[in-house]
Amino acid sequence: MTDPATDRHDARQRALTITRVFEAPRALVYQMWTEPHHMKRWWGPRGYTTLSAQVDMRLGGFWRVHSRKYDGTEVAEQGVFRQIVEAERLVFTHAWEEDDGSPGHETLVTVTFASDGDKTIMVFHQAEFLTIETRDGHLQGWGESFDMLKEYLGNA
Amino acid sequence: MQADPLTMTFAALADPTRRAILARLATGEATVTELAEPFEISGPAISRHLKVLAHAGLISRGRDAQWRPCRLEVDRLQGVDQWLQHYRQLWDGRFDQMDDYLRALQKGRTNDGPGN
Repeated sequence: MTDPATDRHDARQRALTITRVFEAPRALVYQMWTEPHHMKRWWGPRGYTTLSAQVDMRLGGFWRVHSRKYDGTEVAEQGVFRQIVEAERLVFTHAWEEDDGSPGHETLVTVTFASDGDKTIMVFHQAEFLTIETRDGHLQGWGESFDMLKEYLGNA
Repeated sequence: MQADPLTMTFAALADPTRRAILARLATGEATVTELAEPFEISGPAISRHLKVLAHAGLISRGRDAQWRPCRLEVDRLQGVDQWLQHYRQLWDGRFDQMDDYLRALQKGRTNDGPGN
């Protein structure tokens, strides 16, 4: 149930924002991200099988999801939690593992949860910021430079 | 280990001076001296920034030994957009699954049971 009006591909900030409305209570939608047995049921998109999910649900805690693709290759994603506000907000790093198990390019994911009657509005945001510490600096510095680049590239 | 191109692109972009250099190059080719002008940093410091940008494939340097003007390489920036598109598809697919799962869960009929 994608809502195109609220889905946004924010090229200017080089970030991805996806808004979804689920017909489920906020606490349950939050648990989708924090309980491994729930994560395993949705994390692998079609064509993927989730082999394992581990979540150390605390500040600085490690998470990892290991999946198998339809072609048999196995991939894993991992990160650490940067902010945890029960049923409201989760901030964590995300990286695909390299072949040697080390994390690759790190991004920052922020997921917020808000109640709307019986429904839950979930806003997912993923950005390329290497660390949360540099996030604010990035946001301030990004716009102007990319406005000029966009003009140069000739597309919005 | 050689970092993947996207990691190098983002690392190169993660600096305000380098983004300002790219913005300047978006208006046309420039020499190192021209690029250094607006910044209160040394020539060698600018050269280091240019090296990072060139290594990431974001700029190229002309062959003219005297001037070696810098120019913006657009392809690598477009790779950033492709990266976003890839993640959009991935998460959209996942959230479709989450939606299905939440519906099934609340009807109390998940096909292969909880705790799987």
